[in-house]
Amino acid sequence: MENKKVKKINMIYLLGYILLPIIICAICYVVGYFFFPKGTMAAVLFMVPTFAAILWWSFGGSILFKQKRKKFEKELDESNFKRNHTFYGRGNTVIVDESGKIGLMFFWNPFNSYILPAKSVEKAWVDDGRTGSGFMEGSSRVSFLFIVDGVKVRVNTFTSNQRFRMDSNYILTGISKADMMVEVIKKAKAANQDK
Amino acid sequence: MVAFRKLRSKFHDDWCSKCYCPMREVDRKLFMLPMMVGHYVSHSNPAYYQKNLVPVDCKADIPTGMYACGVIVYHCSDCGNHVVKLSIFLPVRDKEQYDDAFLFEHGELDDFLAKNHILF
Repeated sequence: MENKKVKKINMIYLLGYILLPIIICAICYVVGYFFFPKGTMAAVLFMVPTFAAILWWSFGGSILFKQKRKKFEKELDESNFKRNHTFYGRGNTVIVDESGKIGLMFFWNPFNSYILPAKSVEKAWVDDGRTGSGFMEGSSRVSFLFIVDGVKVRVNTFTSNQRFRMDSNYILTGISKADMMVEVIKKAKAANQDK
Repeated sequence: MVAFRKLRSKFHDDWCSKCYCPMREVDRKLFMLPMMVGHYVSHSNPAYYQKNLVPVDCKADIPTGMYACGVIVYHCSDCGNHVVKLSIFLPVRDKEQYDDAFLFEHGELDDFLAKNHILF
């Protein structure tokens, strides 16, 4: 877990996630077309892989990620890692031990989890996504970012397909969560540097 | 006229619910509510606030992501009624995101006010 280079995306997993169901469906369609042109088997070969692929794309990734995250958290609890703050982002999870460690997991790399010393964080900041000016000023995304091992990690605390005013409750809550996480990361970094 | 005042008082927290006239603000104090952003749970029971509110001097003393509670005491000079208003909000940089407000009109928080040296 430790001393590994942080990798946000596992390309083999990403391509497999997208392409493997397509390949399986294509094989089933071809087999169905040439060997079972009629009857129940043809229907099964057409319907089952199609629905399985849709289910996999819709839920497979998040179920797998949640399972791996649970396992990671269990491992952290068993090791000397105190989970002071955990932020479940949509595409990643950040767990901070205020004594100076950071745990990371990424949706597109669920088979690898990382425990890093907080001093490896080069920079941490909040992006409130503010665009426009005057009465048009607003945002549709608030996130906190940090650079660790030269890799920029963005964790969204609020996202929407609509734009909200900067004083809306959604944006303020997102900013508050992001501010808090940045403060926690900086605190962990300071604690780690003191050691 | 009384009916009109009664109606107006419905829209003002700082108007007396007994004689329907504006009340005077006696004192106010800021507290920290130990609840983190994203985990706010509304409580209308005054005992919860008596037990959990932590006095602070200013907003800067409240850690980022923690809720704050403003306690304001109103006094009606006509009927002598006093009302305690609790405003629960999340301080976010220079802004405040208000979540809840509770009015206690029957002295539920008197012990708490006395303990924290708030005039009532």
